[in-house]
Amino acid sequence: MKTFKGLATLAAVFFAGSVYAAGPNAQMSQVLDGLKKEAGAASFSAEEGRKLYNAKRTHSQKKEERSCTTCHTSNPAASGKSTAGKVIEPLSPSANPQRFTDPKKVEKWFKRNCEWVYERECTPKEKGDFITYMMSLK
Amino acid sequence: MSFGKKTAGVLAITLTFGFLTALSASADDGKGKRLPSFTSAPSSALYKQECSSCHFLYQPWLLPERSWQAIMDESGKHFGENLGLDAETDKEIRAYLKANSSDKTAARWAQKITSSSEGMTPKKIMDVPWIKKEHREVGAGVFKRPSIGSPSNCGACHQKGAEGNFEEDFIKIPK
Ligand code: HEC
Repeated sequence: MKTFKGLATLAAVFFAGSVYAAGPNAQMSQVLDGLKKEAGAASFSAEEGRKLYNAKRTHSQKKEERSCTTCHTSNPAASGKSTAGKVIEPLSPSANPQRFTDPKKVEKWFKRNCEWVYERECTPKEKGDFITYMMSLK
Repeated sequence: MSFGKKTAGVLAITLTFGFLTALSASADDGKGKRLPSFTSAPSSALYKQECSSCHFLYQPWLLPERSWQAIMDESGKHFGENLGLDAETDKEIRAYLKANSSDKTAARWAQKITSSSEGMTPKKIMDVPWIKKEHREVGAGVFKRPSIGSPSNCGACHQKGAEGNFEEDFIKIPK
C-alpha cells in the first residue's frame, strides 16, 4: 500500500512536471478559457500582464505606493517578502513549478492581492494577462 | 572510608531535597509531575496554509482562547487586510485555535501566557505581558532591522520557534 502511494505520488509529480513544461495544466487551461469568455477577449497579452505586475499605485488611505512588486520584488523569479517579513517563494513558474497549478489558490490570492494593491478585484482580462505573463517567463 | 560514605549520603539527601523543592516550586500537571516548558501543538495543514503564507507560524498556545476569538472575529480587517476566509475554513481554524490555545495547553510557558494576560485580550503576541517582559532587553531598533522586520516575525531569531521551542539555545539574532 505504502509502495503504491509512493509510486502514485512519484507519477503525479512527474506528470505535473511534464505537463508544466508544455504550459498550463488541464485545470489552469480551463481557468484561462473561462477568463477568456468572461473577458470577451480572443487572447491574453503577456505584455499587458507585465505592465500590471510592475504598475505602481498610491493607496487611498495608507498614502503609500503599492505594487505587485512590493512583496514579489521586481523579478518574478526571485523570492519576495510579505509585509510581516516572511519569505515568499518566487511567483514565476520557471523558478517555482508549483505556481499557477491550483486554480483555487490562484483565485484566492488574486482577490487578496488585487484588493491590497488596487483596492478592487482584478478583472478577468487582467487575471488572464497576468497568468499569461507568468507562464511566458523562461 | 566511612567519612566518604557519609559525605556521599548527605550529598544524596541534599540533592534529592533540592530536586523536590524545585519540583514543587514549578507548575505541575495536577498529579505532581513537572510540566515541560513548551509543547508543539498538533499540526494543522489548513492553519498552516491559511495563516503562515504571510507570517510566522504561531503556536496556538501563544495566546489565550479569547484572543484568538477576537482575532478571528475581525478577520475581515486583519491588521488592515481582508483574509476572505470561507465559512468552512473559518470554523475549522477557530476550532483548532480554541483546542490548542494557552488556556488549554499543559506547558509552563502557556500557563505564564494565560496568567499574565488575565483581565485583558491581547491581539498581538508581543502584547502578552510576560512575553513583552522576556524581550525587555531587545531594543526597538533590533526589531526594525531589515533581516527581522517587526516583532511579529518570531522566526527571524527563534530558529525553532515554529515548533514552539523558544529556548535560549536556539536564539540567534541576525545582524
Ligand atoms: C502584501 C504582499 C503581496 C503583494 C503586494 C502581492 N502579493 Fe501575491 N502573494 C503574496 C503572498 C503572501 C502569497 C502566497 C504565499 C505563497 O504562496 O508563497 C501570494 C501569492 C500570489 C499568487 C498565487 C500564485 C500561486 O499559484 O501560488 C498570485 C496569483 C499572486 N500572488 C498575484 C499577485 C498579484 C497579481 C499582485 C499585484 C496586484 C500581488 N500578488 C501582490 C503576497 C503579495
